[in-house]
Amino acid sequence: MNIIKKITKSKYRGVLIGILIIGIYYWAIRGTETNLNSLVKGLPFMWDFISRMFPPDFSNIRLFLLKTVETLQMAILGSSIGALTAFSLSFFAARNINHNKIIYHFIRTIFDVCRGINEVVWGLIFVSMVGLGPFPGVLALSVHVTGALGRYFSETIESVNPETIKAIISTGANKVQLIFRGILPEVKPNFINYSFYYLENNFRAATVLGLVGAGGIGMELLTSMKLFKTREVLTILIIMVAVVILIDRLSAYIRKKVLKLENIQ
Amino acid sequence: MIKIENLSHKYKNRDEEALKSINLHIKKGEIVALLGPSGSGKSTLIKCINKLVKPCSGKIFINGVNILDLKPRQLKEIRRKIAVIFQGFNLIERETVLKNALNGRLGYAKTLSSCFNHFEKEDYDIVEESLKSVSLWEIRNERVCNLSGGQKQRVAIARALAQNPEIILADEPVSNLDPTLMKDILSLLKRLCKEKGITLIITLHFIEMLKKDFQRIIGLVDGKLFFDDELQDYLKEETLKKRLEQLGYI
Repeated sequence: MNIIKKITKSKYRGVLIGILIIGIYYWAIRGTETNLNSLVKGLPFMWDFISRMFPPDFSNIRLFLLKTVETLQMAILGSSIGALTAFSLSFFAARNINHNKIIYHFIRTIFDVCRGINEVVWGLIFVSMVGLGPFPGVLALSVHVTGALGRYFSETIESVNPETIKAIISTGANKVQLIFRGILPEVKPNFINYSFYYLENNFRAATVLGLVGAGGIGMELLTSMKLFKTREVLTILIIMVAVVILIDRLSAYIRKKVLKLENIQ
Repeated sequence: MIKIENLSHKYKNRDEEALKSINLHIKKGEIVALLGPSGSGKSTLIKCINKLVKPCSGKIFINGVNILDLKPRQLKEIRRKIAVIFQGFNLIERETVLKNALNGRLGYAKTLSSCFNHFEKEDYDIVEESLKSVSLWEIRNERVCNLSGGQKQRVAIARALAQNPEIILADEPVSNLDPTLMKDILSLLKRLCKEKGITLIITLHFIEMLKKDFQRIIGLVDGKLFFDDELQDYLKEETLKKRLEQLGYI
């Protein structure tokens, strides 16, 4: 510990930190075999793959659109269930609202477990539980979103100005009134922003979930790739990007309406 | 009305006691200025009276009831009669003037309906009267974040009045305002308290405002009661000057 203290106080601290950072990157590059040569050598193959994608094949567009709708439904349900669960639990995981340490740590651990396991792994678990199809996908997304949004929500609640909380308490308000009249108006913009961000994120995640048998457009993408139908792959990618852009625009519009941003100067 | 006995408090992370054996008796309707340099314990004392800070020892009687012995539900009932005005306004910036003022009725309103902004007609009538008394009724639907500092503090006063309080505790309510606004807000607060017979305890840093209307000044230094004077007209100027000199204000 003394050596670390001496180093951190040394006049060569900057140089040492620089060497440390370079060392970490060197270690990571060696470990992952990241190599610019391989990338350059692979360029012709990449070009070949991309050129085989054109022109996109729209012959199965109806099926792809139906599967995209299914993926979107998964994302909407997964995000909503996750956001609602996270919202209800987040107040128990915020130190400024819940002073019971046992409950606080219990809920925080639930969030950590939900978030710590990737959506795809949750997908595999739920597929083995309830079988193939979009339902395990919805469950996987819900659980992961609960963990992720739960942490965001509780930390947002904790960041509310304690003086605002005191002001509401000083009126004789109880805890429920404090949450609804004092905390929620302050955290609402962040809650809405995070929720919409996760809706968009979940659409992408739902696509990947298809690869493990949880239905949706991801399953079609996997099939097309396995059958080397590269022109169909491009069609699916175009649809996915279009939907992501659409969700982004739509969520921006809804956020604006809900938060009445136009009134804030 | 307010009786404080041997009140002491020490914050966890500090060596010095913030309040040292304070004894005070404040009568109903009194308008009291609490003076003292920064860190003298003024804000702590104010917060103890509403139990926003739980003191380490002592007793605080409000209308004969020791608030430190009360159960949470009883404390809420007492709190609704003790309004607090804060230096930083402490309003919900995104909400409208009306909604912020309605927060003053939370102690009286039904939990579920108030959470969804449904209040009784009586609540709305009281809030309307409070907003009119601070000349904010016309802009009741304006968001607080769009208001000036003076307007925000008037919203905070309206919220306090909406509580129908017997006591108003004002913690440096004008420190964040420019000098003209300071005088206006302070005069407004004193006038409203006089009209409604509300006991006002106000901590102040700006001494020019002491010369009018205050019936009593209390000085705190290092958490101790340094002086407690009734300011009768014939000795007002003299006493005030002497006390302010003692506190190092002049």
